[in-house]
Parts: sequence; structure tokens; C-alpha cells
Amino acid sequence: MTAPLSPADQPFTFPREYHFPPFFTRQRNAITYTAQCQKWSKLILDYCRAKRIWRLPLVDAIDGELFWNKSLNRRLSLADAREIIDVMKAKEGRAEWASKDKNVALVYWRNPEEWATVIGDWVEETAQRGTVLTLYELTEGDLSASQGMCWLFFNFLGDFGRRVGTDGSVVEFHGMDAEVLQKSLNVLVKRGKAQVFGNEDQQGVKFF
Amino acid sequence: MSKKKGVGLAAFDRRHLSSQQYADHGRIIHRQHIDELSTQLAIFQSLLAHFSNTHSAAIRSDPSFRAAFARMCTAIGVDPLASSSNRKGNFWAEMLGGSVNDFYFGLAVRVVEVCRATRAENGGLISVREVRERVEKGAGSLGGEVSEILIPGNYSDDILRAVKSLKPLGSGFAMVTIGKQQMIRSVPKELNTDQSTVLETIQILGYVTVSMLQANLGWERVRSQTVIDDLLADSLVWVDMQAEETEYWSPTFIHDGGG
Repeated sequence: MTAPLSPADQPFTFPREYHFPPFFTRQRNAITYTAQCQKWSKLILDYCRAKRIWRLPLVDAIDGELFWNKSLNRRLSLADAREIIDVMKAKEGRAEWASKDKNVALVYWRNPEEWATVIGDWVEETAQRGTVLTLYELTEGDLSASQGMCWLFFNFLGDFGRRVGTDGSVVEFHGMDAEVLQKSLNVLVKRGKAQVFGNEDQQGVKFF
Repeated sequence: MSKKKGVGLAAFDRRHLSSQQYADHGRIIHRQHIDELSTQLAIFQSLLAHFSNTHSAAIRSDPSFRAAFARMCTAIGVDPLASSSNRKGNFWAEMLGGSVNDFYFGLAVRVVEVCRATRAENGGLISVREVRERVEKGAGSLGGEVSEILIPGNYSDDILRAVKSLKPLGSGFAMVTIGKQQMIRSVPKELNTDQSTVLETIQILGYVTVSMLQANLGWERVRSQTVIDDLLADSLVWVDMQAEETEYWSPTFIHDGGG
């Protein structure tokens, strides 16, 4: 449905450091490395936000444009990328490992707390309090038809539309990763704003 | 007895008398000069005050006008940022209602912020051009008085002046020229000659290698490596180990973009 305008296909404008060859070599000086990590963290978050990536499979992504500047012939090694994700996790809580082997990372351009707020606000704005939705419906299902249209519309407007639409958050969790969604809903449950029920395959959520 | 020649004992008295007269006359002339000068100065001050009052808005908002105004001040030997230590208030603060001073101090605060924010990345050495770009980019988002004053424009001159205004703080901010580039150094550290030379060389291509230094400067391998290691330790250069020979890059080139 969103194929022609899918965010994954839109070209990403890389920051200037992406064209700086040493950016792809782990800096040995501790202070410089701090700066380097900050820049990588920002790049990874910006990239994933633009491409709407919640789950970053490092082993595959390491061969993608994010970590490999082919025109410069410079690339970040898998070990260095893992270290940066570790820093993002430890320092800012902006990432988490989805697997113990550190092959897949959950990338938090919004962390579960922030997502919980986004979903909570959406529930308020669309008067969904008291309704029961399956998790699938929430991010992909019936409702996502209108969300999808909305998403298309916002995509059509591009950055301009996204900035203008103060309720752009409505569409933000469309296509959200199931694990991140689960974590976010757990936050809502803790806040007493939602109840999750059902079994693994067919979970539902009720908003209060 | 000859009066003209003034020989004899009486001549001593006469000489004493005439020298006193000369001195008196000199004092009179001196006083006249002072009077004239102070009248001129008063007129000048009032004119300058008038000028800066009439044009204070332009001085605040128009970078090129401000630069011209500052040049005029320099030409007539007035320092717009002269410290107020031996006066009841700063001359310029009085003249301009503080706005020009506020402008420079506001700008200085921005410069300090930029230097601090980028210190990890560049080891405390940043080009004036980059500071200018960052200050201009943030010009719209400044809080308080400064945002009223700062409108986009060419701030290079202003930044140099703002950095000078930081000097009395003894904060280690200083201007250094490396090669053709003016840089602001925000960590109190002196570069030795070898380090400066390497930083200059880096500006040509954006990077150096040990063998480049050996070939172009005629240095021995050990000397080249030592200087580079020092620069690395001071986080003034970044290392790229994916080239054929290890390259050492200046972080200035992050902001020159391209690829």
C-alpha cells in the first residue's frame, strides 16, 4: 500500500561527518572517541527514524549504506558498530539488544516511555478510551487503513507536512516493531492507562 | 661691558630669568593646547554619541555597518571593548546605551558555547569560519537580548572582536593563525613548532601520513610519528586506518563536507 512512497526508499541525507574518512575508524583517543560515538549515535537514530527502522539487524546492516560509505570506500566494522550500540544503550538508553549475540539491536529514536506517551495521546485524540484493539490492529490492521492514508498523506507532504501536522504522532507508530510495542504497552499498563490480555498470537489491549 | 654677549656675573641672573620666562610661556602654550584638545574631544564625543545614538539600531543589526563602525573606532584609536576598570563606566556602554557591548558579549557567549560543544571533536581548536557558521545557524534560536541583536550576516570580524573581549577573563581563549586559517583555541595549550607545521600541512589535503611528512618536511620517521602521536593525544587529529597508509585528518574537514 505504501510501496511507492515507503520511507525506506526515500534517500537519506547523510550528515557531513559521514563524508569524513576517519569517522569509520574507531578513534583511539578517548575524548575523540566520545565525540565520535555521539555523532554515530545521532546518525543511527536519525537514519532509523527516517527509514522507520525499529529493529536493526547489525550483521546485515553493516553492509548497508548506513555503516558503509561506498564512495569513500570506508566502512565501520561490526565490532565497532556493536561497541557504539553498547554506548547508546549505556549512556542514553537509546538502544537495546534484541538478541544476546548482539546481532540485532532495538533502536530507540523514541524509547518505550516516549512511545507510550505517543500511543496514550493518540488514544485521547481519537477518543479510543474504553475500546479494545488487537496489537495487530493497533499498528497494522483496520485502523491502519486510515492511518495508512494519513501516513501516505504525510509522506506526500514530506518534511513540511510532518512538521505542520502537530498530530503527526498519530501515524508515527504505524508499522511499529512488535517487541517495542510490547515494551511500550507495558509502560502504559504501569501508568494504569491500558490493560493487555490474550495469549502470544492474539493479544489485545484495552485503553483507559 | 656688553649686554649682548652677557658675560660677567649678572649674566647668570639674566639667563635664569629668561629660562623662567621660556618655561612660563611654554606652560601657557601647553595649557592652550590642552584646552583646545579637550574642546575638540568634547565636540568629538558629543558627535560620536550623536552618531551612535542615531545609528545604534543599524550598528546592532547590520554586520557590515558594525564592521565599518569598528574600523572607524580603531582608526581613531578608540577600543569599543575597552575595559571599564579605570572609569566609572565603559565609555561605549555610555555612548551606545550598552547595546554594542551587549552585542559583543552576547556573541562571545555564543562563541564559548560553540567551542565547548565541539571541544571533544576538535581538541579545542576550531576555525573561525566554522564558529561563524554555527553561530549564524543558531542566530535565530538565541534567547534574550542576543536574539534581537543577532540577525544572519557576516560575523567574522565580530567574532574576532568577541574573542578579544574574552581576554580579561583569562579563560584561555585566543586567536591562532595556522597556515592561512584563523582558528580559535579554547584550551590553554601552546603548540610547538613541529605541531603547528603538521597542522599547516594538514590544511592542504585535509590529512597527512607519516611518509608525507618525511618526504615534504625532510623529517625522520621517529620525529614525524612523535608529532602525530602528540596531536592525537591532544585530540587535535582523527585517525583513518582504512587507507593504504594510516592517515591523520583534521576535524576541520568534517565541516567542509563533500566526499
